Amino acid sequence: MAATDTRLPPRSGKAGAIIAAALSLPGVIVPATALADTAPERGEIAIKYLQYQDSQPDLSRIRVRAPSVYVMVPLSPKWSVEGSWVSDTVSGATPRYHTAVSGATRKMSDKRIAEDVKVTRYEERSSYSLSLSHSGENDYQSNAGGLSASFSSDDNNRTWNVGVGYAADRISSTNDPTLHQRKNTVEFMAGVTQAWTANDLVQVNLTFNRGHGYYSDPYKEPDIRPDKRTQSILLTRWNHHFSEMSSTLKSTYRYYHDNFGINAHTVGAEWVQSVGDRWTVTPELRYYTQGAASFYYDPVYDPVVGAPYPPGYFTNPPQFISPDQRLSAFGAITAGLKVALKLSADWTVDVKAERYEQRGSWRLGGQGSPGLEPFRATFIQFGVSTRF
Amino acid sequence: MSTAHDQPLVAGSTPPTTRRALSRLGLALIAAAAGLGGCAMSPPQPWEKGNLALPEMTMGGDALDQRFIQHIYGSKEAASGGYGVGGGGCGCN
Repeated sequence: MAATDTRLPPRSGKAGAIIAAALSLPGVIVPATALADTAPERGEIAIKYLQYQDSQPDLSRIRVRAPSVYVMVPLSPKWSVEGSWVSDTVSGATPRYHTAVSGATRKMSDKRIAEDVKVTRYEERSSYSLSLSHSGENDYQSNAGGLSASFSSDDNNRTWNVGVGYAADRISSTNDPTLHQRKNTVEFMAGVTQAWTANDLVQVNLTFNRGHGYYSDPYKEPDIRPDKRTQSILLTRWNHHFSEMSSTLKSTYRYYHDNFGINAHTVGAEWVQSVGDRWTVTPELRYYTQGAASFYYDPVYDPVVGAPYPPGYFTNPPQFISPDQRLSAFGAITAGLKVALKLSADWTVDVKAERYEQRGSWRLGGQGSPGLEPFRATFIQFGVSTRF
Repeated sequence: MSTAHDQPLVAGSTPPTTRRALSRLGLALIAAAAGLGGCAMSPPQPWEKGNLALPEMTMGGDALDQRFIQHIYGSKEAASGGYGVGGGGCGCN
């Protein structure tokens, strides 16, 4: 990373050291910030235990327990390698259509193992990364890879990021042994990160994904989705540091559009507050809103056949259709708090709790989809990390 | 059949075109640039980058935290992605 270059005045040695430490940018799938074109000087190991529980009124739904590990090792000033592993144990109930809490609710249990690895080569004003990932569960296998590169300006205040990715997924179903489907996706991303001032970092990323294959949910009924999906995403992030308060505001906005007819907006803010030399407290808020997919139908059922079929389903069957709550129109709010304690120069422990809720009435700028129960979830993380 | 919000039940009959999507992205990009335009850009000198290099100023943040959270949101909301490439998918319920 460029900012550690010899142009630093002698008295900036501490800042230079901080910069070097901060360059150990974690995240296999997260694009680098501006300022990063040398390998991190130190390695990192992080372990987290993740808990997830969701519910709707009168029904506890999915529960997840997920230990995970992240390792980053600088191999030389020119090379680094990083990777992560996670094991999700999932159990609970999920509705077969809309939010119905009847005999149609599916009890399920599953285990997912996911791994990824990323190798990065650093040059004076650029870096190049190759990443591979795999996610496997008994009814879904995904293999993906990505190539990304970043190019910094001469003053290292601006970094251009580009990336291309490919994912090949295989889908089956525990309900239907004859189901063997595939889905392939190509991803393109381009972005720029700018050091706006000495206290502001701004990033804009554009992503375009194009996929074809099986997008239906084999556990919903009736559920027939288009076999092509294009997704366009704009992501902007702005980090501002308040020196006098030892705090940082991290804000994000994401716009999403796809050919299912879904438009979505996400805004988020985290306030990272240092308390003394050892504690960091980070409250956060996130708001998400989406419109419904064009083929989503409200929970109004055929008067003769009944649920889950919409009126006229058998006399005039639609080409595409889904009762999936995730394709309805709704808004969602997340509120969370993270507390981190630095045990020593190299060891840190943290705990984070978040509360999430979806409601149709919270959709921005209009009424959301009617007839659905609110959806709530709690996420909790416990983590420990060390540098070496 | 009751469908959502004046939208046709049959997708694909009026699929939004790539051009329309790019147009909307362009408008959003212009709006973002206009918003930033209100703040004068004053790129720092090399010796002024100490604050930018603080760990909390990194865009990605905690790798495991971000992966976990994005994985959850991707399984409970229709929108996902935008943070990088090569992450793969899952059959999440």
